[in-house]
Amino acid sequence: MAATALLGFGRQAVRCEQRLATRASNSHDPGVRTLKTSEAAALLNVSANTLRAWERRFGYPKPQRSAGRHRLYTHGEVAALRDALQEGLSISSAVSRAREALSTDTHTLVGALAGYELDRADGAMECALALRSVERSVEEVLLPSLDELGRRYGTDSAPWSFAARWADGWLRRAQRLAPPPSRPLAILVGDATRNELDPDALRVRAFELFCGRAGARVMALPVASVSGLGELVAALSPDALVIAGSHVCDDAVALWAYRVRAASGQLPTALFRRSHAADAAGARVLPDRPFGAQRQLLALVDDRRAHIAAEAPPLRAAATPVRREASS
Amino acid sequence: MRRLHALETLEDDFRGRPLVSFCGHCGSPPPPAQLAAERPSRVCGHCGLGLVLSAAPAVAPAIGEPFLVVDSTLSVCAVSAQAEELLQIDETRAVNRHIADFLVPADANAPGADNLLVLLVDAAAGSGEPRTTVVRPREEFGVRFHARIGSCGPPHAALLVLTS
Repeated sequence: MAATALLGFGRQAVRCEQRLATRASNSHDPGVRTLKTSEAAALLNVSANTLRAWERRFGYPKPQRSAGRHRLYTHGEVAALRDALQEGLSISSAVSRAREALSTDTHTLVGALAGYELDRADGAMECALALRSVERSVEEVLLPSLDELGRRYGTDSAPWSFAARWADGWLRRAQRLAPPPSRPLAILVGDATRNELDPDALRVRAFELFCGRAGARVMALPVASVSGLGELVAALSPDALVIAGSHVCDDAVALWAYRVRAASGQLPTALFRRSHAADAAGARVLPDRPFGAQRQLLALVDDRRAHIAAEAPPLRAAATPVRREASS
Repeated sequence: MRRLHALETLEDDFRGRPLVSFCGHCGSPPPPAQLAAERPSRVCGHCGLGLVLSAAPAVAPAIGEPFLVVDSTLSVCAVSAQAEELLQIDETRAVNRHIADFLVPADANAPGADNLLVLLVDAAAGSGEPRTTVVRPREEFGVRFHARIGSCGPPHAALLVLTS
């Protein structure tokens, strides 16, 4: 049992993989039980307007959006709030209590990783996935737990190394189980982190995962690899370039980016978790949180495409005079 | 007189004294339709931002009176809209913080029994008659409020109504 747990193939890990495998779409997660606004309002015994007012004032419960942009509330969040309201003195205190109830997954994960218990760590993530989307499980449970371990033991400690390797494995597993690319969008990530023990590396993995789950084709490459870049760029034909991490020096990164641009032409470039972002010539600095970075990058690519489409001469206008000439 | 219009007697406390209901945010009494519902909601039917609480008529706030709700650990649990405006605090940031972060006794020479925190702990335990004291916002001088303190709930908590 211990051996299987250490190999990462414990029962919890298998269950977690099954749950991840059911998470296909990016906008709303079919593996999480969700409620429409009317259903959530009925569960809380309030009106739909009240629920929207709470979202504005307290930021809770925070709905996802369906493909048709309708609100979808996570059942776990709504149920936690309902329980807290029964014993609360105000909506604010009930929201605070509901948030605390949901953060128990973080405490469990920190405890499991600090105790070198892989099976329990996988179990904590499985519990997190039962209540949240993959994106929120990573941003609200996995990454904060790793941050806590880093603060507690330092990033050169054995607990950190163990936890970082486990988290890296978890994120890579989730990436493998992500749905195949569904939109014509390719992103090349220049990985400028030290290795998987670099605190930025997990956020870069999470960013790659989120981009992949949004339907993009993502390829990450260490910025040290410069030979053969032309072939890779030709094969991927990236729509955007992201330099992620701050371990590698600016000169090496600049050389790598130059080689990519030489092969691909002008590309929108963005920086993620790069501390020397102030001197980024023309590059967009993405937010520090992986999900925010993913959204901003996709918006950047969409904007650029819309700009190019607007600048291109309309085909019909060009064709009309030709037809007139022919008729005259 | 205004209070008598605003508040409606609903039920009795465990000592058989009548209680009135009000919203923990806007201070309004719940609409009659809400009380008559088969499964009455605890959320205020007027503003939707507070829970319906009950208190003795002598303590309950009149419409427009600023008030705070404090639990037995002296943590702030609710801040009315008027108190938010008066004390320039945001309820969402004030909850779970100690009441002394916002209000302190204005009369430093008050005897022990009239100490603000003692009164609040007694009220949060559900014991004693409504009491009054004088308070001021923390780190502000020259501003004083009369405070009416009594029990409210459920669950048991102290209600601190600020009067001019």
